[in-house]
Amino acid sequence: MATEELEAIIQRCQILEEEDFKGEDFNLFQVACQKCLEEGYAVKVLEVFKNEKNKVIVKNMGWNLVCPLVRCILSYNLEDEKREHCLSILDKLVQLCNPKELLLGLLEQIEQASGEQISQTILLLLQPLQTVLLKFHSKKSYSVGLSLSTILNQLSLLPVPYTKEQIQEDKLGLCKCCSAVVGFAKPFVDQVVQSVEASTESDVRELKEELLKFCLKSLKYPLLIAQLDQLHEDVEEDPLRHFATEILDILINIGELMPIMFSHRGSRNQNWNNPHFLDMDRKHSADSLACLSYLVFVQYFGIDCFPMVFSPSYLLQCNMTHIEVLLKRTEESVLTKGLDLLGNCLLRNGDNSLHHQYLEFKGFITTPQDLVKVMTLCPIEHLRKKSLKILQLYIDKFDAEGKYTLFRCLLTTSNHSGVEGYVIQNIKNQIDLSLKKANGCKWFTGPHLVSLLDLVLLLPEGSETDLLQNSDRIMASLNLLRYLVIKDNEYDNQIGIWTELNKIEQNFLKPLHTGLNMSKTHYEAEIKSKKENRRVAHNSQTVCSVTVGGEKMPNMTTEMQLQVLHSALFTFDLIESVLARVEELIEVKIKNVTDKNIGGHVKHLMS
Amino acid sequence: MTTDEATKNEGEVQAAALAERGEDITPNKDRGVLKIVKRPGTEDASPMIGDKVYVHYKGKLANGKKFDSSRDRNEPFIFSLGKGQVIKAWDIGVATMKKGEICQLVCKPEYAYGSAGSVPKIPSNATLFFEIELLDFKGEDLFEDGGIIRRIKRKGEGYSNPNEGATVEIHLEGFHGGRIFDCRDVTFVVGEGEDHDIPIGIDKALEKMQREEHCILYLGPCYGFGEAGKPKFGIEANAELVYEVMLKSFEKAKESWEMDTKEKLERAAIVKEKGTVYFKRASYRVVLTCKPPALLASRGLSPWNPEKRELAVEREGQERSTVFHLDRLMLSSFPQAGKYTQAVIQYGKIVSWLEMEYGLSESESKEAQSFLLAAYLNLAMCYLKLREYIKAVECCNKALGLDQVNEKGLYRRGEARLLMNEFELAKCDFQKVLKVNPQNKAAKSQLTICQQKMKEHNERDRRIYANMFKKFAERDAKEAGKATGERDAEKAMCEKELETQVTEGKA
Repeated sequence: MATEELEAIIQRCQILEEEDFKGEDFNLFQVACQKCLEEGYAVKVLEVFKNEKNKVIVKNMGWNLVCPLVRCILSYNLEDEKREHCLSILDKLVQLCNPKELLLGLLEQIEQASGEQISQTILLLLQPLQTVLLKFHSKKSYSVGLSLSTILNQLSLLPVPYTKEQIQEDKLGLCKCCSAVVGFAKPFVDQVVQSVEASTESDVRELKEELLKFCLKSLKYPLLIAQLDQLHEDVEEDPLRHFATEILDILINIGELMPIMFSHRGSRNQNWNNPHFLDMDRKHSADSLACLSYLVFVQYFGIDCFPMVFSPSYLLQCNMTHIEVLLKRTEESVLTKGLDLLGNCLLRNGDNSLHHQYLEFKGFITTPQDLVKVMTLCPIEHLRKKSLKILQLYIDKFDAEGKYTLFRCLLTTSNHSGVEGYVIQNIKNQIDLSLKKANGCKWFTGPHLVSLLDLVLLLPEGSETDLLQNSDRIMASLNLLRYLVIKDNEYDNQIGIWTELNKIEQNFLKPLHTGLNMSKTHYEAEIKSKKENRRVAHNSQTVCSVTVGGEKMPNMTTEMQLQVLHSALFTFDLIESVLARVEELIEVKIKNVTDKNIGGHVKHLMS
Repeated sequence: MTTDEATKNEGEVQAAALAERGEDITPNKDRGVLKIVKRPGTEDASPMIGDKVYVHYKGKLANGKKFDSSRDRNEPFIFSLGKGQVIKAWDIGVATMKKGEICQLVCKPEYAYGSAGSVPKIPSNATLFFEIELLDFKGEDLFEDGGIIRRIKRKGEGYSNPNEGATVEIHLEGFHGGRIFDCRDVTFVVGEGEDHDIPIGIDKALEKMQREEHCILYLGPCYGFGEAGKPKFGIEANAELVYEVMLKSFEKAKESWEMDTKEKLERAAIVKEKGTVYFKRASYRVVLTCKPPALLASRGLSPWNPEKRELAVEREGQERSTVFHLDRLMLSSFPQAGKYTQAVIQYGKIVSWLEMEYGLSESESKEAQSFLLAAYLNLAMCYLKLREYIKAVECCNKALGLDQVNEKGLYRRGEARLLMNEFELAKCDFQKVLKVNPQNKAAKSQLTICQQKMKEHNERDRRIYANMFKKFAERDAKEAGKATGERDAEKAMCEKELETQVTEGKA
């Protein structure tokens, strides 16, 4: 019997002094305890542990007994009184055992847990772990850091709950663990805060650094991934949002919020020169800092501690690095953070207030390109829409020359007909604005505009261009051209379109005619053959298959194919009609001028 | 009356008083920023544009509500003056202050946060009140290493800076020990100042200057003429220099996105050539001090010029180029490191243009790859020379990413690793080189060096341990002796193997 074995060993050991113990005694004791626990005699073990006389042998058993003990606790139901006994044993262990050994034992348990047991283990052991750590007198910072990073590493294995329901359910316990960890860290934060002014002891400094690392790591996961927008005006606060405020509070309390927010611009303070810290993977801290910026500027966490004298354009500039990091990712919540942060920083600036030379700062020219990528490639619709909205905001904030540069850049880099169409529409609006002003802006009239139009009024691959693919762009270009022909007075050529007509004819209108003719013939022939095929063979052989996002779409029936072909033809007709209208306008206006010139000429001759 | 209202009224009274007595300090005289000096400064000096400024301040809204205070944070607020980092009122106001001065500023919204306000604290169209104490200021440390300190005499226009490769027109005056040694107008390309006897620090600083900017630059030796000094100007080694520079105009080099693939490829060719010129000029100094022709001939593969082809070209044009470079050398013995840095700039351009280029045709892509490969390999070489071994390894890795069995890539990585004391890895690399080309003598000799170093290392370790545990060592002397014998035998075996490899290679 396990209990008897244990009793026997105890009898033998109680009379021994510490130095008289032999290795085998410990082994026997451990095996016996383990057996008792496994067979459900926790009460017996507890009894042994409570007995003052057994102090000596218990003292050295910390590491060995943690594992079976934790296993037992997790296996019992919450109401089971055996669980209570085990918990009491754990308390005893924490009281009596060598803290260093116990620390390792506890961390080992946390590290080894997997699946649903991760959060259970953490929630169970945080309290004992904290007690053990507080027993360390000096040199505790390393152990605190080790504990925090072990816990966060384990938490990073848990998926972040996303919807409101998921958060409430908190199936794998991530939210509970997050709030527990904050409680766990609290006494250490307090220690740092209390000694912030008093001392520069290396231990406190190290502890501060460990806490800082903990905060940065939490920002990267789970906070970066978490959806932190306040979804509803709920009384009950979202636990992850709460966690975010707690992390910010820690940063503020240990006096590191400002230094790390400005670490990238080089105003390092003294504690920042620690090489150990600089070794930290830079990429990791880039993610963390981006999340931090989002929390401060979009969610206003800790904004009270942020200086209110920075200019809005400078804030945009500082945040651009973070925005870049966020927009490069693909997760919905991260992209949302990037877009929100950019939107927030842009709204702080007045329209037309950003000097075009900001585009020369790092990130200012690549970020709109990133927005285009989100707009065209992201599978999530509301993000595509938001991205487009923010791109417009971005354009609006720049001065005329900045807009001009942006348009050039977007036209050459976007490779997407829809985006190009959108930019061309924007160009039209700018020309319109510029014409309305008394002395128009030089970037959207005259030679500058003409050189921009060179990028617009052309077919990318001449008459071979895929008109269907490029229809958005072509329609926008034709609309712009029609607008210009109507608006630009043929006599004073203010915009400069009339001297460019030849080039436009060559690069755009002529190839467009050819292209339209070729495409129409091609599609008409295709329709004809489809119809014939349908008559000849009524079977629906697969002509082509389409896959979307890796899933195969149902095969197109001949009917559907015909429909598509017809709609293509319709597009060509549309282009053709606008083209005809433009050419008609040009003709009329040119005729006016020549008539008048001839008229003048004749008059001159007659006089 | 509630206390809130009391403070509010008090605030308004104060505001009115300030508005009445304040001095208008805006350039336009539109009363947008009013200033009252509360305590005059202790020194007469005012900060210059770009200076790092230390202040304590407290900010209030018109209703008297405090919205911000640096004293609450318990640390002074630091910013760069006149750079648009802070609201306009501050850039204007702080520039008028003297060290130690305390003043109050009344800032109209046009000089603060305007109609947008600043969420969540500053409402739209708010007039702000500040009390500011100027604690200290100092020149701007351009690269955070104390190597270049700038003080701006006259602010430039806009935000645009010359980039690498931009053509700049400047006026410069160089001072050393109170003596002016250089004074001229000069036009050159940023990154190539060396060609005009301009130290690298000026190139670097120009990238942070604006059109029409007039500034004083304090250059540390590594940004000046370095170890070699500049005999032409009578500058000795490791001299600290002061330059006054006026950037009259510049034309930027095209940014990557402004160029199409064709242009990038064309420029890559030019830039590669330039880089190579710098690289060779750097190596010439070494070569010449070693009495070159004989030495070059005798060591077909000197470590500075491992490419036979390049060497042949050099030897063909030997007379002219040697004389030319000898001249230059005597006139102004270039700092060695300087030119590798310049070469890095040139090769780096290729990487920035072509690294992320996509959507290329097959032939273009092939061409781009070959440029990139060459750039990475040459960069690796430069970094080796600059003793930046980690970067050298990075470049080799990138080169090997393009061509797994690139002989030079492997060799240079081996070299870098050897210099970082990563003997095992270095050995691996050299062995790979020999797999690719069993004729590579340099790799063979490097392998031998590896073995030697490993041996030395082991011995050193053993000595250290021997000292530490002298007692144990003595006790176990016999056994240890045996072990050493064994290890030596093992090494001998290795060396023998290597020799056979070498002879095989020869055969």
